[in-house]
Amino acid sequence: MTTATGPITEYRSWAVEEYRAEEEPYYVPVSDEVEVFEAAWNNKIPVLLKGPTGCGKTRFVEYMAYHLNRPLAVVRDGRAEVESESNLPLVTVACHEDLTASDLVGRYLLEGNETVWIDGPLTRAVKAGAICYLDEVVEARKDTTVLIHPLTDHRRILPVEKKSQLLQARDGFLLVISFNPGYQSALKDLKQSTRQRFVAVEFDYPPRETEAEIVQHEAECSPEVALNLAKMAEKIRNLREHGLAEGASTRLLIYAGRMIAAGVSPRRACQVSIVWPLTDDGEVQRSIEEVVSSIFED
Amino acid sequence: MTAQLVEEAREGLRQFPPALAQEFESALEAVQPILEPDELARWLRDGLEIARHSLRSWEASSEYFRASGPVLEQITYDRMREWCTVGIDLMETSPALSGALFRASPAVLPHLSVPQANDWASQGKSLYKGTWKSGSLSAQYFDVSPQILPHLPLSQMRLLVDLIDSLASHSYELASACLGMAPGVLSQLDRADRAPFLEFGGIVAHTAWVDARVYFERGPGALRQVGEEQRPRFLSLAGQVAMQVGRLGHPYFIESAQAMSEVDKDIHEGLLELAEQLAQHSGDAAMEFLKSSPRVALRLGIDDIARWQEFGLQILQQSRDGGEAFFRLESARGEEVMEALSSRVDLDRVSELIRMYCKALTGVDVGVKASEELTAKGVGWVDESSPTTEGTTIYLPENVERYPTKEENFSVYKVFATHQAGRLEFGSFEYQSRLDPSLFPSPQNGTQNGHGNGVAPAAVEGEEGEIHTDMELFFDQFEDRRLAHDLFTIVEDTRIDTIVKREYAGVRRAFSRLQQAAIDRRRPVEGMPARQAMVENLLRASLDEIGRIRWPNELAEEMRTPLRILNRIRNDGATVQDSAAATALLYEWLSQIPNVELDSEDWSDFEQEMSADPDGGEDSDMMPGSGSSGLEESFMPFMPGSEERPYDSPDPVDFRGDFKPELVQLLMKLKGETGTGDAPPIPLTKEQLQELLEKSVEISINELMDMDLAESSGMFLDNLLKEVNQIQGERQEGQQAMGDDSTGADDGEELPVEAASFYYDEWDFRAADYKPRWCRVQEQRGESGTSNYYTETLHEHTQLVQETRKQFEMLRPEMFRKMKRLTDGEDYDLDAVIEWYTEKIAGATSETKLFYRRNKVERDVAVAFLLDVSASTDEEIQKHHDQRQDDQFDDDPRKYLSWWAQRRAEAARHPGKRIIDLEKEATVLLIEALETIGDKYGVYGFSGYGRDNVEFFVYKDMDEPFGDRIKERIDKIAPVRSTRMGPAIRHCIWKLQNTDAKVKILMLLSDGRPQDHGYGRDRTEKEYAIHDTKMALTEARREGMVPFALTVDRAGHDYLKQMCQDMAYEVVADIESLPRRLPALYRRLTG
Repeated sequence: MTTATGPITEYRSWAVEEYRAEEEPYYVPVSDEVEVFEAAWNNKIPVLLKGPTGCGKTRFVEYMAYHLNRPLAVVRDGRAEVESESNLPLVTVACHEDLTASDLVGRYLLEGNETVWIDGPLTRAVKAGAICYLDEVVEARKDTTVLIHPLTDHRRILPVEKKSQLLQARDGFLLVISFNPGYQSALKDLKQSTRQRFVAVEFDYPPRETEAEIVQHEAECSPEVALNLAKMAEKIRNLREHGLAEGASTRLLIYAGRMIAAGVSPRRACQVSIVWPLTDDGEVQRSIEEVVSSIFED
Repeated sequence: MTAQLVEEAREGLRQFPPALAQEFESALEAVQPILEPDELARWLRDGLEIARHSLRSWEASSEYFRASGPVLEQITYDRMREWCTVGIDLMETSPALSGALFRASPAVLPHLSVPQANDWASQGKSLYKGTWKSGSLSAQYFDVSPQILPHLPLSQMRLLVDLIDSLASHSYELASACLGMAPGVLSQLDRADRAPFLEFGGIVAHTAWVDARVYFERGPGALRQVGEEQRPRFLSLAGQVAMQVGRLGHPYFIESAQAMSEVDKDIHEGLLELAEQLAQHSGDAAMEFLKSSPRVALRLGIDDIARWQEFGLQILQQSRDGGEAFFRLESARGEEVMEALSSRVDLDRVSELIRMYCKALTGVDVGVKASEELTAKGVGWVDESSPTTEGTTIYLPENVERYPTKEENFSVYKVFATHQAGRLEFGSFEYQSRLDPSLFPSPQNGTQNGHGNGVAPAAVEGEEGEIHTDMELFFDQFEDRRLAHDLFTIVEDTRIDTIVKREYAGVRRAFSRLQQAAIDRRRPVEGMPARQAMVENLLRASLDEIGRIRWPNELAEEMRTPLRILNRIRNDGATVQDSAAATALLYEWLSQIPNVELDSEDWSDFEQEMSADPDGGEDSDMMPGSGSSGLEESFMPFMPGSEERPYDSPDPVDFRGDFKPELVQLLMKLKGETGTGDAPPIPLTKEQLQELLEKSVEISINELMDMDLAESSGMFLDNLLKEVNQIQGERQEGQQAMGDDSTGADDGEELPVEAASFYYDEWDFRAADYKPRWCRVQEQRGESGTSNYYTETLHEHTQLVQETRKQFEMLRPEMFRKMKRLTDGEDYDLDAVIEWYTEKIAGATSETKLFYRRNKVERDVAVAFLLDVSASTDEEIQKHHDQRQDDQFDDDPRKYLSWWAQRRAEAARHPGKRIIDLEKEATVLLIEALETIGDKYGVYGFSGYGRDNVEFFVYKDMDEPFGDRIKERIDKIAPVRSTRMGPAIRHCIWKLQNTDAKVKILMLLSDGRPQDHGYGRDRTEKEYAIHDTKMALTEARREGMVPFALTVDRAGHDYLKQMCQDMAYEVVADIESLPRRLPALYRRLTG
């Protein structure tokens, strides 16, 4: 149960490249992904994260950004200032199908009679030496690969076409992309020439006990509820590709856990935070609800 | 004086045939002692008068004399005189009738009073119409009266006479036959039913006189099927309906009576009341209601039937057709209402749900089917109503109707399914002899000094060539296989139930309820012989019911240990290995308990200190303490006869169902699905199977088949092998299919594919409702011919092919659409820049949207082509040619012959093209074009005859890649039978639903209106078929598809307009332009 006197998050804003996790993000390693990522970062090898939605890819990147130490440079008024900070900034871009290269690099905007250049998030990450995380990269338009390729091999260069510039990435810059092989159609697969520039870390939902631990921690619910949720998720995931496009994600479990912790009855909480978000197919909904009702008593 | 009168009479009679005189003499003898002289005189006079009346009246007179004696025994002469006057009066009508009346008199008199005679006679007279046929019918009336009157009071005789009279107006033969049957018929009926029976008969005679004979023959039998009290009511209802529906009245009567015989008599009254309400609105509906009642009553109680009827009545009031279809159970709404009212849950409605549920629980692809399907295979399972599994599929009873609500009944299914899924999920069939249990001492150590464990499982497994399942080896250890099997079942079910309840807290309640019900149904333990009682008690304990264990107090100690063994299996982490070990331990105990009657006064509830140290005690405690002798000794005092009784297995527990681990392991092994996975399927000889069969207690041959042992076991083996081969066959086929896809290699004949069946509703526009599951669509792959046809067609139309291909290629650039006037984009839009700059120079503030961007519009089209391959497409399309060639002939008679010969020769060289040929050509061209733009498409054909046989041919399925196979199938497209469009369209919709695309098009290509056997009231009715087709097309639209109908029938406008209304359609007037037109249309549709 949460109390009303909890800390209230104030409005805050960061420059794109200044954002960094302040508290340690909660992440439970499932296997050696932390070591792999660290080694890749040390060697400036870009990383590709594969895995279903809501299994912790973004959280993992945050976690790594927090833990990888380096002095931070902030670009202010065109000049880089070095500040001593302990963790890496993180630039996250959620890709969509109309995301173009200039959305990432930057563009000229007309303001009154002036033309102003605005750096895009990728440019800022390159300049600041941040981790740039392109989420669901296959969704982006193909012209973005023009940018990704020179950045991800030995050159580590970002061409800024409109300004006729080439930017050399600062130390610490690392491109991380993610994609979910599950629901991509063949059309949207990553090209081999792109894929083969990354080391890949595969994610899947954590095993039952680990997942229960995560849910318990994140949702602040009882261990029994967490374990039951994890058990249920395992069952629901058995239905993947048999009526369900994706299994219930850890994220959804956490939502359900929070709802339960907030006093919603478990069956109802699972219905609103798992069954209904997962699918619109009535038959499949009922099947999952039967699984839910088998596991939760009320 | 008397003598003189007699003499005179004798004299008078002489002019008549001698037979009359004889009758007179014998009558005289009888009456003389009774009659006073003056009475005798009158009697004589009457006789003579009758005889003299007319030409053949002496016969009547003879009957008069003959009847006199017997009549006078019953009544006085005065009364007789009165009586006879009636007969004498009848002389005026017909002497023959009069004779018949006299003849019947003695027998009729006991039933009629003298004053009634008039009435009786006049009824007979009314049948006489002056013809000889009517005369004989009337005479028959008097003749059968003595047999009828005991059953029918005179007051009701009128009904029969009216009926017969009415029949006679159509056919005297029929009337006479019915009259002849009447006594027999009436005697079969209850007194109260007779008048109503005749009343309804009267109506039948009016409305459907030909049915009257059948009514007399079958009516009483039919009526007996209706509840006694309700028969008159039923008849009057039938009558009321018959007045409305005419000829159908009688068949309705027979059929609904038949239907009522299938319903519990207790609800007949209720049903009739409901039917009577309906009859006020529609007689058809009332009778259809009764006819449907058995099926309805199967699912609903009478109160719910009333609610169902009320619903239907409302529909009936709005639309007669709709209401009648409702009660005929031919409407989807009727089904829905019934489903909603019924508490029964049918497997076929929930099987998909349960399948997914079980799949979720187990993580493997389990099927869910009705238990009947498994028993039908004849591979060892016999119980049709209990849940079970053979390792890959979960079998459940067809329906559940135990509790008053749907939810509760569904929860029964859920418990069944969860338990069976539990067996799969928690590894009931994964026993391996090599693995050790975790909670029990290893059986090899534990049983070393025990009983019958000479076989060390691992050793036998080593033998080459022998195949044994681990389960079989396990049971081999025990002398009494049945006992071991029963114990293993109890232990394993306990384990499964415990895990299920622990893991799935949500089903606990439903589980406990079924457990409770199961225990309530068990037979008492008292009186069972000792060993059996102990097994029974273990089973009860396994149902969580320690309190229900009954056991002699004195022997409490002996019961405690087995219970403790059983209880340990409930511990966390127990595996099937532990179950096996526990079974071995229990067997040790129980095999030493003599199966004898226990003579104890002190049967009492057994109390086990469950909470206290359930897992306590040393393992050694679980062994029979001081050897076998100790146990037996403790039973000694309670064994009066000490006669060993045969051991019977405990009654099965319904929700656990059949458990046949040995058979399942065998099946799995045969199918090559052993735990190791990569082991190839093992061929098993018949002898080996035979051995197993004789050994195993899981298969009881007697139950399996009603034959002698050798034959039935052979049959069983065949079934088993068939089952295994079938599964292997499926697997191979799957592999082969995959091979085809990847390589396209043609490695032989395609396997004949059995038609898959799909059921679809059909729209009944009269009822404004769907007829549920009305049509069966049989999907089958098109036959294969050669691919030459395809290539030749392409050659023939080289020009056209190139044209269409070019046109289709032009579709592609449209995939990008330029968007202008954006704040940002790919490049500057020159026009916008110039404009902006001009305005800037002019000093105006202006827009800064100077960019353009090309937005990708993905072409994502799926199309299903549905070709009409009905018989009518076989028609040649010569007309056009003929027309033109006739025109070419220049009317010079001299040249006609040579012209004609030339034409004939040409016709022989080029046989006329048929509609189907053009359909095929158009298809070829379209496929060729479609391949260039990469749209998904399927080519299907449909035909069939009747609603349960709609053939649906797949020439190319949606996801099938184009290749030689497709070309070959197109070659074999050929006209078949009728045109039932609706279901074919619905099946196409289903196909498209399962295809992922943004734009879905359903293109229907036909040559005429939809028609089929039973597609409408009769063959000539067009409305019904058109409405159904229209509805199917509307459904397609509702699903977001674009339906398009194309017809080559020039008369197509009239019905297409109705069928498509606001949808696009086209009538291709010039059939031969079809191959050109179809691709063009397609381009327009998707462009």
